[in-house]
Amino acid sequence: NIDPTSLLPKLPRPEELRPFPTIASIEFAGHEGRVRSVAIDPSGQWLASGGDDGTVRVWGLADGKQQWRVKLSSEDPVDAVRWRPGQESSILSAAVGEDIFLMIPSYGNPELEQASRDILDAGFGYATNGKQLTTANGAARKDPPAKWSRPGTRLEDEGVLLKITVRSPVKTISWHRRGDFFCTVSPTGQRSSVAIHTLSKHLTQIPFRKLPGLAQTASFHPTRPLFFVATQRSIRCYDLQKQELVKSIQPGARWISSFDVHPGGDNLVVGSYDRRLLWHDLEMSSRPYKTMRFHPQAIRAVKFHRSYPLFADCSDDGTLQIFHSKVVSDLMEGPTIVPVKMLKGHKVVNRLGVTDIDWHPQHPWCVSAGADGTCRLWT
Amino acid sequence: MDTPMGQPGAPEPQQIRVNFTTTSPDLQLPEGRTQLLVPADIKRYGLSRVLNSESMLATPSPIPFDFLIDGSFLRTSIEDYLKSQGLSSETTLTVQYVRSLIPPVYQASFQHDDWVSDIDVLSATSRAGLWSGERFVTGQDRLVTASYDGLLRVWNNAGSVIATSPAAGSGHSVKAARFLSANQIASAGLDRVVRVWKYNEADDFLSGTLKPSLELYGHTAAVEALDVHGPTGRILSSASDGSVALWTTSKSAAPPAPANLLPGATTGASNKKRKVAASSAAQRGPLSLMQPHTSAASAVIFDPADATVAYSASQDHTIRTLDLTTGRVENVITTSHPLLSLCAIQRASSSVLLAAGTSARHITIADPRAGAATTSVMTLRGHRNMVGAVAAAPDSEYSLVSGSHDGTCRIWDLRSVRAATRAEGGGSVSESVYVIEREGGDASSKTTKSDVPGRGAKVFGVAWDRTWGIVSAGEDKQVQINRGRDLLAAE
Ligand SMILES: [Mg+2]
Repeated sequence: NIDPTSLLPKLPRPEELRPFPTIASIEFAGHEGRVRSVAIDPSGQWLASGGDDGTVRVWGLADGKQQWRVKLSSEDPVDAVRWRPGQESSILSAAVGEDIFLMIPSYGNPELEQASRDILDAGFGYATNGKQLTTANGAARKDPPAKWSRPGTRLEDEGVLLKITVRSPVKTISWHRRGDFFCTVSPTGQRSSVAIHTLSKHLTQIPFRKLPGLAQTASFHPTRPLFFVATQRSIRCYDLQKQELVKSIQPGARWISSFDVHPGGDNLVVGSYDRRLLWHDLEMSSRPYKTMRFHPQAIRAVKFHRSYPLFADCSDDGTLQIFHSKVVSDLMEGPTIVPVKMLKGHKVVNRLGVTDIDWHPQHPWCVSAGADGTCRLWT
Repeated sequence: MDTPMGQPGAPEPQQIRVNFTTTSPDLQLPEGRTQLLVPADIKRYGLSRVLNSESMLATPSPIPFDFLIDGSFLRTSIEDYLKSQGLSSETTLTVQYVRSLIPPVYQASFQHDDWVSDIDVLSATSRAGLWSGERFVTGQDRLVTASYDGLLRVWNNAGSVIATSPAAGSGHSVKAARFLSANQIASAGLDRVVRVWKYNEADDFLSGTLKPSLELYGHTAAVEALDVHGPTGRILSSASDGSVALWTTSKSAAPPAPANLLPGATTGASNKKRKVAASSAAQRGPLSLMQPHTSAASAVIFDPADATVAYSASQDHTIRTLDLTTGRVENVITTSHPLLSLCAIQRASSSVLLAAGTSARHITIADPRAGAATTSVMTLRGHRNMVGAVAAAPDSEYSLVSGSHDGTCRIWDLRSVRAATRAEGGGSVSESVYVIEREGGDASSKTTKSDVPGRGAKVFGVAWDRTWGIVSAGEDKQVQINRGRDLLAAE
């Protein structure tokens, strides 16, 4: 007789999997109302946040001091903040209603600000706003998918230099690693819900007219020319060059909130409003490799660390769950996923908890945004 | 054998045989006096009196002593200590006596306008005071604070601001400030420029002026920390891109400033049209600009005995020994955590130990001569959040103070050592001797009931001087002064 538990793979104990974040080190307080989005800049020095008060704020990550702030709207919340990749610039993007703003927070580095300004301004030479009036089949179109413009003197004086207006409210922004493309998703945008923007040309394109459901979020593959779009129930992977569908993934969730592609490129983690966390091996079946339920409330965001074998999710239950995930190249062996720490501290306000997370580019640290109006650095 | 504490007529108390030792050459007991029978209920104070007595050290004025048994300070009676260790009263106890660290008593808080990022002291006993010689006016003790509001302030010991700089970082946060002398201050911060200020006071010492005399260009990222060496007029700076620069305060010896970094080199770059008054200060470049680190260089210091050697600590987990003459990295100490602060403890043997505050809530003590193989010689544990500031005790080879995001400063004595538990990862561990909480303002109400240790009261800067005591400052906008009288009472 064999004890069936002896056949289970032996999971390492969490303390053997250090380092991973264990405590709240800094609280970033200042937002009025919920914080909806957080992002650490590519240098690891700055934390950007955006929320219900219509402001975008930039904080010193290591000291918690707010160093820059701009009010983008007095009506609409800031739904997403994301930094442009690369350390040769310091450009922050933010979504407010139908507008995407590109801005240069100022903290005393004129060369970096100038380099950033040059990147934002380069596209004005293309004047594509007027030329974008044809569709793929050459038919004339009356309305371009987006309008690129200056946001007006008040914002320009604050360092907000570009405004891209699309047709429906934007909920997510995701950058391509090289920093020239970024995609936005407007779930209510129907045929133009997913847009890909080319910064150097001030050009907006709508890659798909038809999706099997409401688009939720999208992102670029970390290394290959692939593009992922999540609708409520499935994630589709497209080849951008060949303009074709490569793969369709069915996580089995009722309503996907967020996903992230493993930096190795072959795995994907998905979070859902119906409290499920799903791991997909992209080279295996379209069904999940593992389904996990750690939260009694909706999962709002999932994110891989770019270099440590860590990922995290965050939930309306007010917690973050940190996982250690070892991915091996051996096709016969699946990834080892070990939950290592639950991080508690954010207060749940009106049944909303932790709204977004991001990882530090170098350290095993993460940040979170909360409906309680604060962000936290976990180390 | 003497029984100095014996009371005639009283019932004879149990006695314990004690063997006294010390590492202080000036406090050695005469031959044959090192063993003594003491009453079992004796505590620190009684032992201290015994040691000071005529038959023992015969000190002209009493020196307060602390007693280490097996690496721990005696905080109970000897009787209770023996019980707690399960030892018999027949045991001969080896007791090491050291000059006592008196609890640092809260003295005052000076109210600041914004978060304070760094602090330095000037006094007859401070480094810059000693460098100044006769230019330091006795009794005119000063503090300089660097603030997130972009200003430098000079304070007197009554808590008045005597001088405020013009915008010291073109409106951006200043992160570091050091006295070069009684008349010269260096500062740097987010705007990447290292500034040298001429500091002069009015005849009544009640007001002063800070005038920029030199602007040093070369860093292309925010400056995190500074150190200075008055006698040679050298300044060290470390930046968030991992670079370390060496500068001179001599206008004639300094190379020209790199033209591409000067104001106006990038047109229209500043988002806000900041009013930067045309500076009258001379502009110069670095003597050398090194790139020793792959992540932010949080701190850089001169070797206390040799200004041609520097140590830098970085978020890349390493402490590097830099030869400032050649610009080469001479040694690398690799730790397991991002390092946020650094100080040197001068040993009597003319070697140094380095103390580096980490993001992982402890302080690593390392020997820079030991080579790359050895990482740390000791770990100081007790802080509940990142350790962003450390300063060596004046006139001591064993003590330092640390400031943490947990809203406390802690005083450590390297002689108090225990073996690490397995969870602590082995090696030697020391725990703090004293904890200094924030006192001024509404710090106490801010720090209560939070999952973030020290919320609202992060300590960013700490200095320890014989005259000033322990001066600390940070997020609570308070400069706090704590002092133990004769804290380290050297003769
Ligand atoms: Mg994020």
